[in-house]
Amino acid sequence: METDASDSEHVVPFQLQFDKPIASQVKIAEWNPEKDLLAMVTEDSKIMLHRFNWQRLWTISPGKSITSLCWRPDGKAIAVGLEDGTISLHDVEATEFQNNTGNSLVFEDRTPRFFPPAPRVPRTPGVVTSDASFMDDNEDSYRQLSNSSYQRFNILCSGDKDGSICFSIFGIFPIGKVNVHKFSVPVSNSDKTQHLLNASIYKVALSKDLCQLIVLFSGDLIESTAAASEADKVAGCGMHGLVLDTSVFGKRKNELHQLAQQASNIEDLTEVIRASLSVMSKQWTDAVQSFSQKFVSLDTLITDHALDSSPQEEFLSLLGGARTSPAVHQFLVNTLGEAGVKRVSKLVCGAGKELQRVVHDHLQPAAEIIAFRMGELRGLSRWRSRFQVIGLDETLVAHATEKSGMMLVQVERFMRVLTSVEQQFSNFFNWLLKCIKLLMQEPSDQLLPYNSELVVIFLKFLYNQDPVRELLDPSEVDHPVQADLETMQRVCDLVQFGGFSDTEYLRRTLAKEFQQMESSFKEAFLMPFTTISRKIHVVDLLPLFPLPSLPLSRSNVIPMSISYYEDDSEANENNFNDYICFRVPAESLSDDGNYIGIVRGFMHDQRNLKRGYSTLEAVLLSMPAGYNCADLSLYKDTQVVLLLNGMTNAPETPGDACMMIIQANELPFAPVSRSIDLSLWKMHHLQDSSACLQTENEKIRSIPYSVVAPLAVSATRGVACVFAARRRALVYILEEDEDEVLETEA
Amino acid sequence: MQLRSNFMDGCSFPLNGFEVILNRIKKLAPELHRVHFLHYLTCLYHDDYFGALENLRRFFDYSVGIGGFDITPVPSRSKGFERYETGLLCLGMLQFHFGHPKQALEVLTEAVRVSQQQSNDSCLAYTLATICTLSSEMGSSSTSGMLGTSYSPTATIGTSLYFKQQLFVLLREALKRAESLKLKRLVASNRLAMAKFDLMNVQRPLLSFGPKASMKLRTCPVTVCKQELRSCLHLVSEYGSESPTMTIEGAFSTAWLNNLRRPMGASVLSLDNGVGESSNAFQFCAQPSSIPRSVLQLVGSSYLVRATAWEIYGSASLARVNSLVFATCYLDASSSSDAALVHAKLIQHLATFQGYKDAFSALKVAEQKFLSISRPVILLLKLQLLHERALHRGNLKLALQLCNELGVLASPFNGVDNQLKIEASMRHARTLLAAKQYRQASEVAQSLFCLCYQFNMQVENASVLLLLAEIHKKSGNAVLGLPYALASLSFCQSFNLDLLEASAKVTLAELWLSLGTNHAKRALTLLHGAFPMVLGHGGLELRARARLIEAQCYLCEPNYSVVEDSEIVLDALKQASDEFEVLEYHEMAAEAFYLMAMVYNKLGQLEEREEASDSFKKHILALENPQEEEEEDEDEPVSEMLVEKN
Repeated sequence: METDASDSEHVVPFQLQFDKPIASQVKIAEWNPEKDLLAMVTEDSKIMLHRFNWQRLWTISPGKSITSLCWRPDGKAIAVGLEDGTISLHDVEATEFQNNTGNSLVFEDRTPRFFPPAPRVPRTPGVVTSDASFMDDNEDSYRQLSNSSYQRFNILCSGDKDGSICFSIFGIFPIGKVNVHKFSVPVSNSDKTQHLLNASIYKVALSKDLCQLIVLFSGDLIESTAAASEADKVAGCGMHGLVLDTSVFGKRKNELHQLAQQASNIEDLTEVIRASLSVMSKQWTDAVQSFSQKFVSLDTLITDHALDSSPQEEFLSLLGGARTSPAVHQFLVNTLGEAGVKRVSKLVCGAGKELQRVVHDHLQPAAEIIAFRMGELRGLSRWRSRFQVIGLDETLVAHATEKSGMMLVQVERFMRVLTSVEQQFSNFFNWLLKCIKLLMQEPSDQLLPYNSELVVIFLKFLYNQDPVRELLDPSEVDHPVQADLETMQRVCDLVQFGGFSDTEYLRRTLAKEFQQMESSFKEAFLMPFTTISRKIHVVDLLPLFPLPSLPLSRSNVIPMSISYYEDDSEANENNFNDYICFRVPAESLSDDGNYIGIVRGFMHDQRNLKRGYSTLEAVLLSMPAGYNCADLSLYKDTQVVLLLNGMTNAPETPGDACMMIIQANELPFAPVSRSIDLSLWKMHHLQDSSACLQTENEKIRSIPYSVVAPLAVSATRGVACVFAARRRALVYILEEDEDEVLETEA
Repeated sequence: MQLRSNFMDGCSFPLNGFEVILNRIKKLAPELHRVHFLHYLTCLYHDDYFGALENLRRFFDYSVGIGGFDITPVPSRSKGFERYETGLLCLGMLQFHFGHPKQALEVLTEAVRVSQQQSNDSCLAYTLATICTLSSEMGSSSTSGMLGTSYSPTATIGTSLYFKQQLFVLLREALKRAESLKLKRLVASNRLAMAKFDLMNVQRPLLSFGPKASMKLRTCPVTVCKQELRSCLHLVSEYGSESPTMTIEGAFSTAWLNNLRRPMGASVLSLDNGVGESSNAFQFCAQPSSIPRSVLQLVGSSYLVRATAWEIYGSASLARVNSLVFATCYLDASSSSDAALVHAKLIQHLATFQGYKDAFSALKVAEQKFLSISRPVILLLKLQLLHERALHRGNLKLALQLCNELGVLASPFNGVDNQLKIEASMRHARTLLAAKQYRQASEVAQSLFCLCYQFNMQVENASVLLLLAEIHKKSGNAVLGLPYALASLSFCQSFNLDLLEASAKVTLAELWLSLGTNHAKRALTLLHGAFPMVLGHGGLELRARARLIEAQCYLCEPNYSVVEDSEIVLDALKQASDEFEVLEYHEMAAEAFYLMAMVYNKLGQLEEREEASDSFKKHILALENPQEEEEEDEDEPVSEMLVEKN
């Protein structure tokens, strides 16, 4: 790479790194913002991660069609938008990056200091995990994601084709959702307002300080008046831009960070509890079912012998030594036998032990950490001046804390029931073994001793009932648990010692308690969600260009790019300038010209408004003759990288294309008025003053292929990846002084 | 031991009647030496320690060489001599109870020797565990020499640090031995002891050489949580493998018969077999548990340790929840001292988070609940609460009296009851501080620091340092206070005492603020850094103090203008004054109301101003006449309480 850079003589501006064939056409490609890694999505919906030298790191296929892909700003995870509206997060190889530890938190998360690593979801026994490919330890990488990478605050923002924009912190904790259809923008100098219909979001970009969000979407702009008499009229359908004020994210960054850190962990742990409960329920039900299957033949034997009794009574009389009925004798000696008892015993007691293990290793630690984290959240919620703004409600959090405490008590009670049930079962089986030996007149002194009282209890309460299953059963049927009077009394007494004021929790099953806990968490976390959503509002609307056909299909994608640049002229705080760059579809303009549009200053900045600078400006740029814009991307320092395709391609030739960089801020921008009333599509006015792009004056490099859409440009790394129509990938180095970049990195 | 504990929390029985029976048995069957042991237990139960000691001695005298002691945990019972070491073990424990650690250690050392001789491994393991508890509960000065005689060749070195290391080695040794012998219960209790040790003591690598060995001193909460406390819980599932017949036949029948008297408990003996059973599978849950009591006791006490751990580490909610878990699930199986302790913890929690009113009414209930044996815990709690309240109300005479009472509770022997002694002099220093006798207060605190240093009690040291900072702050010498506060802060950080750290930060903020208004911003940043901890886990007093200082910081800051943003100050002051009022902390409440009145005055809201100044006046008057308030206390005047106790 370095030798390449040294002998470049500025004759050809961009160094070709390599030119490789690819297996299938790529539809989305994004460079990692921190490292030389390129994530690509192919037409057949596979995600590939390649190094700069084109070495492939991994490939996964989510099984659904992928519509978008985006790197997290720290470059450690990618978010993938799927066709069904879900977003999945993927951690790139966890060992890949270790060198990013600069940003220390203002407030520390105390949990890792006091607790060992949080428990994971228990594996269902019997299910053998298949090969350990990337997807299989998805769970592990997710864990990695949720623990190590909370160092930096970030917000994943996504828009969908129904006009909803979702915000989630770290990409996992949903914090807000707005719909562009709900917004209405007043038209200046009239009582009319404008709102939107059929909006489909095309691109969203959050500014670096998280204070503004630019949304590009296609949709119908509807003008309506306050008077109900006049009918709404469609003002125009096409591509629009919208600025949303998301300053709550910027201003309340620390608070949101802390909230999300605790809350998302709590949600993870709730999943652990849910999974533990279902695993336990399944295992225990299986074991007990095989137990009752073995013993059901006793019932038939009893009826066959024309006895009017139940198995329990028969066993009791056997225990009492009164008589051994022929039915029981036959059942024990012939049907079940010693081996049978041992087998069932192993099954049931093994399940009991396994359940205890799950409680110890998963359920209890998870419940404990939840209670701890909830306690931390309660502390935050009491800091009203800071946290009420983001909707952390003191009473709701206090309620959730109580519930998490009750959960801990319930887990303990469940554990006691489980242990004694297991003990009762093994005691019963010991007794049965002894009985069989006696009945068969074999020596029985080698056997384990049993407790006859426990056998009585077993027959009475456990033989054909299953309290463990009922405690774990999440069904809606409400069986109040019968607590003994002493415990009940004790819990009532505890109220005045500061115990839980809701003493009824003793009557709830473990599963029920969990449901209540979960719903109390949901309630507590919904409050910030709605509060934040309410604080996001629209600032400005800008119609960009009309579109004749709606909605956009995947095939005629309009290339567009949004970027924020730091304003160098401003010496003080971080002051951002926004650039929106897009290709204007040929049919949108009157003269069928071949243009790209660049808009800047769309964002409202109070300081800029005061200085009268950076009002909305735009320019139309006419493409050189014979070329068609295939894709474009904003690059660093307000540069635009254009990918142009030659229009006169004979089908048999490989085609010709070129890539060029233009300096956007040197273009003749013309001010555009923000008011919407005059005429809708301001681009039409600019057509007269459009600038012509001259291929001679700019940095340009021709590409010997016909190129297709995704142009992946990395501003931080200075590289671009171009895809040719004939399944080739070409990587160019945009930066001339590559050595310097390498040095600063080392 | 197990029998003893069973006796202690079983139902009460009259001493005299039982003694008559015992004496009769002694007469009828003189060869039955167990009677002496039983007698010893009875005496113990009725707090007759001298009678107990005598009977225990008698038991040894008779049983040496004969073997009448059948509740040893050893499975093999063939040898005759092995009862002797068990007896020694019991004697050692009793000696310690009297506050004779020297004799106790002597006896236990002998027990170790004998059990080594007899190769009675389990007894050795138990003895080791006992020595561990013993030496962890008392200071080093009197024991280090003793320990050396059997465990270490360097018997004479007696520095406390060395002693702690020895204890650590001992604990590990005991744990290892118990594990190899597969004594599950002992393993669990050793783990608990280990947790207690790790909780309060700095982890010091036993072998640290070279430049890479970390010299950082810190506690390690993760090990406490994971290795010690969580693994202790495994006992509940493992006990079955240790001894299958730990339950005594007949115990359930007794419970059933008892249940017959109750309306719904008679389900076992009822005849309606199979009628209501399908409707409710949970009747089982209402049955007495078949898990052995000793197991439950151990598991339960692990929750108590957790609660204590969270009190130290600073998580109010988890401290409370763990106490509640114990009180809900393990109270029936626990020893009465544990039960009293958990109630004391809950009442303490009430007092710090909800004020004295609730705490005292709960205390009353607790006093009725726990009578003879566990009285000390409750009594101690009562004195603590009364002292705290007297301090807040400004009744310093009473406060001084109360902390003297507290000091008397501790054993007069050097090195025993160190915790209690430290607490008593801590409270003494605070009372002196409240009385504005700064010199005396700092003298007491200094000597306290020396004591803590001598016994290597770093955790206590942190709070003593903070107290010293507080004294300097109150005496108006903030510059001198700063190093103390910073030292306390660094202690807290390395020992994970988060709550204490937060309060050290609050004190530090106060110190900065008192250095001048140009430090207000720094103080505010410090304070806000501590806020999540203070508000989440701090008691009423700490919270209110922090808010008051926050308001003061805002008011001092040059850029802040009351007229523009009065809400932020008023909100803080309102919350502070509310919380101080709940605590009846007149001095601080008056200060909060004073500031509030000033702010309202500036804003021109005269009505609110008058209201605040009225409250201010009320609290100042109450502060000046503390006696009146005590007399108002409806049911039980303090003086009466003290008389009753004496």
